[in-house]
Amino acid sequence: MKYALLLLSTILLCSCWKPYRTDFPTQPPERKVWGSKPVYTAESVAKKIGYLSQKQPLVQAGNIYAFENYIFQVDVGRGIHVIDNSKPSIADRIGFITITGCQQISIKGKYLYTNSFADLVTLDISDPTNMLEVSRVIMAFPELAGSYPLVQPAESGYYICPRMDSVVVGWVKDSIYTSCYKN
Amino acid sequence: MKIKLIAFTTILLISTCIVFISCTKESAMASNTSAGKGGSLTRFTITGNFLYAVDNHFLYAYSLINPSKPEKVYTSPLNFDIETIYPYNNYLFLGTKTGLYIYSIDTASKPRLIGEAKHARSCDPVVANDSVAFVTLKGSNNCGPAISGLYIHDIKNITQPILKKTVELPNPVGLGLQDSILYVCCGNAGLKVFNVNNPYSPGLISTQSDGVYIDVIPYNGTLICFVEDGIILYDITKPAIPLMVKKITN
Repeated sequence: MKYALLLLSTILLCSCWKPYRTDFPTQPPERKVWGSKPVYTAESVAKKIGYLSQKQPLVQAGNIYAFENYIFQVDVGRGIHVIDNSKPSIADRIGFITITGCQQISIKGKYLYTNSFADLVTLDISDPTNMLEVSRVIMAFPELAGSYPLVQPAESGYYICPRMDSVVVGWVKDSIYTSCYKN
Repeated sequence: MKIKLIAFTTILLISTCIVFISCTKESAMASNTSAGKGGSLTRFTITGNFLYAVDNHFLYAYSLINPSKPEKVYTSPLNFDIETIYPYNNYLFLGTKTGLYIYSIDTASKPRLIGEAKHARSCDPVVANDSVAFVTLKGSNNCGPAISGLYIHDIKNITQPILKKTVELPNPVGLGLQDSILYVCCGNAGLKVFNVNNPYSPGLISTQSDGVYIDVIPYNGTLICFVEDGIILYDITKPAIPLMVKKITN
């Protein structure tokens, strides 16, 4: 009985003891909703250029460029499809240059100029089966840094506004604190 | 007599060669195979040894003297929402949400604004030749309230473009010019083929309906169309009569 009383009083006393919080928010916490959460990847990983030497499906059709016997088509935010147009009646995609954040394209001689987010990227395309990055101007177009297609989820609704120091490569549904809203 | 004949023939041959060579040079520059050709919705363009690029508010010039390492030589903040850039001769035509702006690149490293044609808020790609600029305006939620259509400007005095003709069109976007044939993409309203031999009285020849058209590039006898699900190729050996050759869609 004594111990029970001691236990009970201990419990009751503990409930009075509230450590003083200096970081308690002055406004009520944001509510949790069902929305989209960004999936990030390190910039160094996202900005790596690759080349796939097989035909790839087109996800989001973008700008086109004609160059000698080739046609290039941007797949917005993902890269550039290479099309063999030496005989138009049987023209088809033959490869894909993976460039995250890609939107624009221009070509001169053996160099292809494109963007990867805000960077201006130069590729050597003299060997159509092995296209290589030769130089990059970081932050060449600062206004394009946040204007890549995946900076927002595809569907409307709540989403967490992405950090600008990371690159979003996808979105997943989750319970999130409200941050941004897409109409 | 014989000598005179030989001399005459030699002179004739030499002059034919000169004419032939100069004509070939001109067509080589016109097709510009070492640089290829982009569409009208682009924000990047290369002319001479420079890459000109626009984001929403800036025009940049990058020198390609060392082509593997572009070097920025010029940045200009512009007071308008820029959409597209199109080069012709020594000019850059900038399509923006509030007007068509013309820059001189006489000094290639320092583009200079020399002319403008303002319009109601809308999206507007442009193509041009020596005397005419063709602009499509699209009024929409994102673009603005202007009346959608093809707007044709006289640019014989390039510092003062004059709007001469408007053709109302549904959803016009990218466009391409091959000699006196103008191709205008109108989304799911088709690809409109106009005769612009008399540029201020364009005549609609046909509408192609093989896809949802966004932009076109006439290139070496083929019309390359950027459609919503990929690319459609047309033979334009006869530019007024496009013949579908291939669809490259998923």
